[in-house]
Amino acid sequence: MITEDFKYIGKSVPRIDAADKASGKIKYMSDLNFPGMLFGKILRAKYPHALIKKIDTSQAKALPGVVAVVTWEDVPGLNGFGIVTPDQPVLCKDKVRYIGDAVAAIAAETKELAEKALTLIDVEYEPLPVVDDPIKAIQSDSPKVHDDGNIHLHTKVVRGDVGKAFEEADLVIEHIYCTGEQEHAFLEMETGIARIEEDDILTIYAGSQYPQRDQMQLSRCLALNPCKIRVVSYPVGGAFGGKDELTIQPILGLLVLKTKRPVKMVMTREESVISYWKRHPMIMKYKTGVKKDGTLVANKVTIYADTGAYASLGGPVVNLAIEHACGPYKLSNVDIEGYCIYTNNGVSGAFRGFGVPETAFAIETQMDIMAEKLGINPIELRKKNALQKGDIAPVGNKLTTSVGTVAVLDGISKTKLWKEREKYLVKNTKKPWIKRGFGFALTYQGTGLGVGLPDYGGAILRFCENGGFEVGVGLVDYGQGIGTSYAQIAAEMMKCPIDKIKVVLGDTALTADSGPTSASRGLYLGGKATIIAAEKMMTVLKEKTSEMLKVSVDNLDAENGYICMKNQPEKKISYEEIAAQFMKETDHLPETEGYFLMPLADMKVENAFGLPHHIFAFSAHLALVEVNTLTGQTKVLKGAEVIDAGDVINRQGLEAQSEGGFVMGMGYGLFENMIIEKGIFKTTNFSTYIIPSAEDIPSDIETVTVTDPEETGPYRAKGVAETVMCATAPAITNAIYNAVGVRIFKLPATSELVYTLLEKNEEKCNESTN
Amino acid sequence: MKALNYLRADTIDSALQYLDEFKQDIRIIAGGTDLVVRLKQDMVKENNILDISRIKELNGIFRENGTIHVLPLTTHTDILESEVIDKYAFILREACATIGSPQIRNRGTLGGNIVNASPAGDSISALFVQTAKLKLKSINGERVVSIEEFFTGPGKTILKPNELLVDIFMPELEENETGFFKKLGQRDALVISVLNVAVKMRRRGAGTNTFDRAVVAFGAVAPTVVRGRRVENAIISSSLDFSKQIHYIARLAFREVSPISDIRASLKYRQDMSINLLYEGLLDLRANDWKRKT
Repeated sequence: MITEDFKYIGKSVPRIDAADKASGKIKYMSDLNFPGMLFGKILRAKYPHALIKKIDTSQAKALPGVVAVVTWEDVPGLNGFGIVTPDQPVLCKDKVRYIGDAVAAIAAETKELAEKALTLIDVEYEPLPVVDDPIKAIQSDSPKVHDDGNIHLHTKVVRGDVGKAFEEADLVIEHIYCTGEQEHAFLEMETGIARIEEDDILTIYAGSQYPQRDQMQLSRCLALNPCKIRVVSYPVGGAFGGKDELTIQPILGLLVLKTKRPVKMVMTREESVISYWKRHPMIMKYKTGVKKDGTLVANKVTIYADTGAYASLGGPVVNLAIEHACGPYKLSNVDIEGYCIYTNNGVSGAFRGFGVPETAFAIETQMDIMAEKLGINPIELRKKNALQKGDIAPVGNKLTTSVGTVAVLDGISKTKLWKEREKYLVKNTKKPWIKRGFGFALTYQGTGLGVGLPDYGGAILRFCENGGFEVGVGLVDYGQGIGTSYAQIAAEMMKCPIDKIKVVLGDTALTADSGPTSASRGLYLGGKATIIAAEKMMTVLKEKTSEMLKVSVDNLDAENGYICMKNQPEKKISYEEIAAQFMKETDHLPETEGYFLMPLADMKVENAFGLPHHIFAFSAHLALVEVNTLTGQTKVLKGAEVIDAGDVINRQGLEAQSEGGFVMGMGYGLFENMIIEKGIFKTTNFSTYIIPSAEDIPSDIETVTVTDPEETGPYRAKGVAETVMCATAPAITNAIYNAVGVRIFKLPATSELVYTLLEKNEEKCNESTN
Repeated sequence: MKALNYLRADTIDSALQYLDEFKQDIRIIAGGTDLVVRLKQDMVKENNILDISRIKELNGIFRENGTIHVLPLTTHTDILESEVIDKYAFILREACATIGSPQIRNRGTLGGNIVNASPAGDSISALFVQTAKLKLKSINGERVVSIEEFFTGPGKTILKPNELLVDIFMPELEENETGFFKKLGQRDALVISVLNVAVKMRRRGAGTNTFDRAVVAFGAVAPTVVRGRRVENAIISSSLDFSKQIHYIARLAFREVSPISDIRASLKYRQDMSINLLYEGLLDLRANDWKRKT
């Protein structure tokens, strides 16, 4: 619990951008227009897998109003991008590997002309067999998506002796789990505008999650000194991991360099869906052994993840899935392997949860099955095996930071949903075909990038003439609210009103590199860096005041926008006066920088980069569902999350994260599935790709926090952006089982799937009674 | 999106003139909730767009000699807000309530939902059971057809290129008539029907579970909305006393539908759901003593 008397930390502070966003005052990249601007369009592949024999752009180039047509020949630098391996061409040269692959691009005076010009580009293809089944893709006789073969990454983590442990187990549960391909479905599509600005700097305004890395990747593709590229990646209308990798930026940059004019590019929803990242569909084989008393003894897991045509972050996603495959439970005999597999099924990459929602579905269903078979209360079973501080995690690292597993499990009983569940679970006598059930699931998620990857936060603090401060962090606020948290931290640290804090995010020219806005790390690392920058700034202000008042720095304190004398608080100088003094003396105001290196785990996992993590956030997800046995429809009536976020910085922000995470997890659990047949997308917009609507959302999503303070965190906080969505799906599917007795092994649990299982179940019952 | 020639008619006569003049190369726009999507997808072959949205004579709801008229430009929201509809055409009301989102219902029109001729058009099943008739007009004259005769296939109708739908009318629901519209979608709102079913039945008297008239229609399970005549006959020839009996009758739906598999649902699921949705609707109605939902 926060015991100190804070003014902003731990309070429900309204979001600093709320008014601008609600009123439409904020300008997203799609809202920007520059004089003389051209419109860019991309020609996508005609086939999901084909050789390019010839590209003829002459007719398109001849169309009046077309200013540039570019192909691979025009890429000045490396024709490839990708966070881990730059295996994705900016523009394809001799082969296309998925239906969204970019083959050529056009800049024209109008959008319509650009669209027309696309139809005039003649590409000759030789179609190749489509690799669309990840399991078949790893067999030696499969056609290859890349020359090196279809296995992008294979990781195997073994500890103890699973063979022996399974022999000693009293119960072994084996199932295959399949999860769907989820679309980020952000409000703003991949959009950007770019131009050459002062000093010949190519400035790219395109929403993304890490401007400094975009700058680095763009520099490589465009063969341009990075200091000649500025990336502005904020504001961004949603990301959820889908804008971690580059999207349109390299082509946008290329068109600007070619035309020397501003170029704007806005994806349609359909183009966004076929071209950019999704959550990896996974097939997961689980074999878990347990003793009669509920002690887990062994877990053998094989994960097949379909990463689509290019690597992007597929490797790290699979590794994170491996790290979290056993759930937050003590297991000393594990054999976990994962394959990240190339296919022609679009592209998969980063998505909130990053492999954890997938494995959480599997392990939490396994736990529920074991609890039932052993006749042990499912909370007790989890508690018995719960990882605690000081324990060794399944992949071998010792947990030395805060571990909220037990606190979260105990917190379940504090929710209203748990307390009143008996009341909610009454039988519907009027409609006996409608059945209710309650379920829950537990999960956790590592913060930060893990061992082997540089992981740091950076912040700049600029003193302003009005006596306020500008915080510059390279991370972006894509809806999670970190901008507001940085303002709270800066105001608290600098002892000034929060309205004196301005937050600048995601801009290579104005903000410090703070790593990617991903991995639940934004608050933790950006927050820590802000604290360090603020501590330095406070020293600077006190030193100046000590000169002005001619007293020792040790005798000074800060309060409400003033530096004052400790024992004579009436003797004080306002920040504004200090700023004026700086201006008078030096004609500029000081700025400080803070950098913070992420603490790392005590070991590394061989051949598994990014593993393990050091800090984890924990959550339990609860769901009350109603299943219509005539149709298989599931309605989530109530939801709750119990979250270990360390100490909470912004209560209101945390609740919004929790509710949003629950709803996203619910979509993943019940509705969302990208259908791709032979490499062709069948659900390219929201009339066919079903996300929850306001009508589908439970009337009540409770957020209960249990505090296991993280001593290393900013004001002892931890990031929870991902864990809050990771176990909603298994909470719902466990509730479906509780309601109607069918186990869900495949996500999403659509009405049709549930109905089909119910029907099978009925047949089975009939057989056994006959 | 291609460039189009935009035309606007403010009277029925002027619209009919335009239709006659441009023959096959003209497309009517009213609310635009379907057409604009298709325009965006370049799925419209015509080069002329005739905007009829401001023809006052085509907008309104009124009663006349036991018949209720819903003119084609009436929006779904208008229908939901009409007391007349609520009282005398509540099955249509229930159907319109499930269409799209508030934004779509504010713009989408009943006439548009009909001429669009989607087998999943939600209002159509309701109009089937409310035995609606359509008045089609051209510069050469007018004709009246029953809603059932109107559709010939998915997106296809008997409407001639120079004809305009000018009236939709149906008998008012009687005191002893009951019924429902039920829709199954992939979620609870803003969704295209996996299938829908509409039922109208006339009760023989209070306290009985028997009916002397029944009309049943299914949507999204055949190339057009279809009547369920076997189900209708079974309803009027038996007594709906027990759920077992109701289930037996509902199972006849299996003989009425010829669905396909698509990205929304499989053939088998649609087949089973045409039974179960009907069954659930009848059970709901019986639980409410055969009174319409309020």
